[in-house]
Amino acid sequence: MSDINGLKEIVRAENLKKTFSISRKQRRIEKTDLTRKVAVNGLSFSAYGGEIYGLLGPNGAGKTTTLRMLSTLIKPDEGDAFVMGHSVCKEAARVRDCMGFMTGELKLEGFFTPDYLFDFFGAMHGVDKATLAARKKELFTRFGIDRFAEVRVADLSTGMAQKISLVVSIVHDPEVVIFDEPTNGLDVLTAKVVTDFLLELKAMGKSILLSTHIFSLVEKLCDRAGIIIDGRMIAEGTLEDLCGDLSLEEKFFEIYHGIKGDVL
Amino acid sequence: MKLAALMRKEFHRFFHDPRLIMTLLMPGLFIFLLYSVLGEVIHETEPAKYDYKVYLSGQSQIVSILENTVIGTGSSIEFLEVSSSEEAIDAVEKGEANAYLIFSENFDASFDAGATVDIYYTSSDVDEGTGESFYALANSVLQTCGMRFSIVPHSFLTQESLGKMIMKSVLPMLVVTFIFSACMSVTLESVAGEKERGTLTTILATSVRRSDIALGKILPLCCIASLGAASSFLGIAFSLPKMMGISFSVFFQSYGFVSYLLLFLSIMGLVPLIVSMISTVSAFSRSVKEASAFTSVVMILMMVLSLITSFVSNVGDWAVVVPVFNSVFVMEEILAGGAPVLLTLAAFGLNLVYSALLVLLISRMLSSEKIMFGK
Repeated sequence: MSDINGLKEIVRAENLKKTFSISRKQRRIEKTDLTRKVAVNGLSFSAYGGEIYGLLGPNGAGKTTTLRMLSTLIKPDEGDAFVMGHSVCKEAARVRDCMGFMTGELKLEGFFTPDYLFDFFGAMHGVDKATLAARKKELFTRFGIDRFAEVRVADLSTGMAQKISLVVSIVHDPEVVIFDEPTNGLDVLTAKVVTDFLLELKAMGKSILLSTHIFSLVEKLCDRAGIIIDGRMIAEGTLEDLCGDLSLEEKFFEIYHGIKGDVL
Repeated sequence: MKLAALMRKEFHRFFHDPRLIMTLLMPGLFIFLLYSVLGEVIHETEPAKYDYKVYLSGQSQIVSILENTVIGTGSSIEFLEVSSSEEAIDAVEKGEANAYLIFSENFDASFDAGATVDIYYTSSDVDEGTGESFYALANSVLQTCGMRFSIVPHSFLTQESLGKMIMKSVLPMLVVTFIFSACMSVTLESVAGEKERGTLTTILATSVRRSDIALGKILPLCCIASLGAASSFLGIAFSLPKMMGISFSVFFQSYGFVSYLLLFLSIMGLVPLIVSMISTVSAFSRSVKEASAFTSVVMILMMVLSLITSFVSNVGDWAVVVPVFNSVFVMEEILAGGAPVLLTLAAFGLNLVYSALLVLLISRMLSSEKIMFGK
């Protein structure tokens, strides 16, 4: 692991590649004979403790696939990634131990209450009861969940359910937190709570990775960012290095048009 | 137009999904394969041999045909002299002889003029099926000689043995069906439902081992399904005597404690196996709808397996290695009045081993991104 500016490298992706098969119908539409589509193509980057790293790209660029590989839900076809020094390919359980992953595709059983689910996921991560109780009190108070602790998730508002998903994903106080489109579908109040919390986590020295296509979110939160287009890392660095005198949006479209032409 | 569009959508959903089309073809294919393989094995098994003791009254050339046929099957037959008809019938009833064959006077000469053959035979639980086997053989020989005379059977079936016969032929299939229903109601959506709702991915993102997830699902489901199965079993046990028109006391005294214990073990071996089978199907499926379609195929297979023993009598002990079929086979033995302790224990143990292998398979499936996240 290499460190920069006194920050410790927590996540390192090395030449990650992931392909998916394409249906015959889709091949006809895309007028291709290729049976597999490359979703992520040789992606490499590092994220450090105490920083927020953003993966920025349009829909279908490979952001979510990359985060799913890092969270060990899917395996890379080639390459590897290391979280706290553990390989996502060879030490998946250890990686999951030190990581919190939150995405819209992870749902909570509506039948259960936040209190039950927090305890359940605490047990899944092997958190001891005393720590779990203290952490529950802290997080439930912080997010205003305490008043709804015994209400079934199915009966809660979307914003509150999202907050519960957030606290459940970090029940084990992970060193690395991965968020796929963290503010998607949230109202402005809940979105603010989430973004404020990400900054708090950063201040606590955690390493945060997020994927988004919202420029303002990257500008507001991220210390460094990588621009992904068609599964490739096109540009990477601090916002200053990336943008120069341009805004992030202007820089992104400059890069995008440079690669894809005028196609939007 | 709207109706047509709705109908087209349903057809499109089905016929553009190869997995759902498979659920249409699989029952026929599996039944063909299963019956072909089992048929081969069953017919390679040597038929049972009997030493028949039969009282004979009257004369006919059919007697020598019958004797040759018996010898042809590898069995033997001894014709006993009849001192009095009452004495012979009494001996058959007590199981001292297997049958009493009475040809009417001038039988061969009066084929078309009211000739009759009376066959008295013992019930299966008196002489382990020898009397019934002789009746079946004699009946088939007489049938080949043409239907120009009457065959009059006289069985000494007691109410108890009649009850046992019905139990033996009906109960195993009913038990399998009810256990399957009990398991299906609690297991079907266990993995497929969680996949569909997205809640399984949340668990997969934690550090818990896949084998723990599989076991954590199957063990509680087994307990719940066992309660359902027990309830179904008790329902059958209490309703069958009424259905058969015999008293509870006759019904319950027909079997001893050991029989009930063995029956219980057979059922308890089936529960984890069926729960694991349905869970495997559920894990493989992308949705509850798909799981439901696949499970109905499995249910047909269960029915087919549990019906085999009803029309095949000489199934060997090899049946104990065939999952599900082994429990049916053992249950039939128990209900026929036997106490196959070793076979029951072997079936129970093997079903647990098969269940464990399926749990292992589910663990592997939970690690497979194609199965867990494939669209």
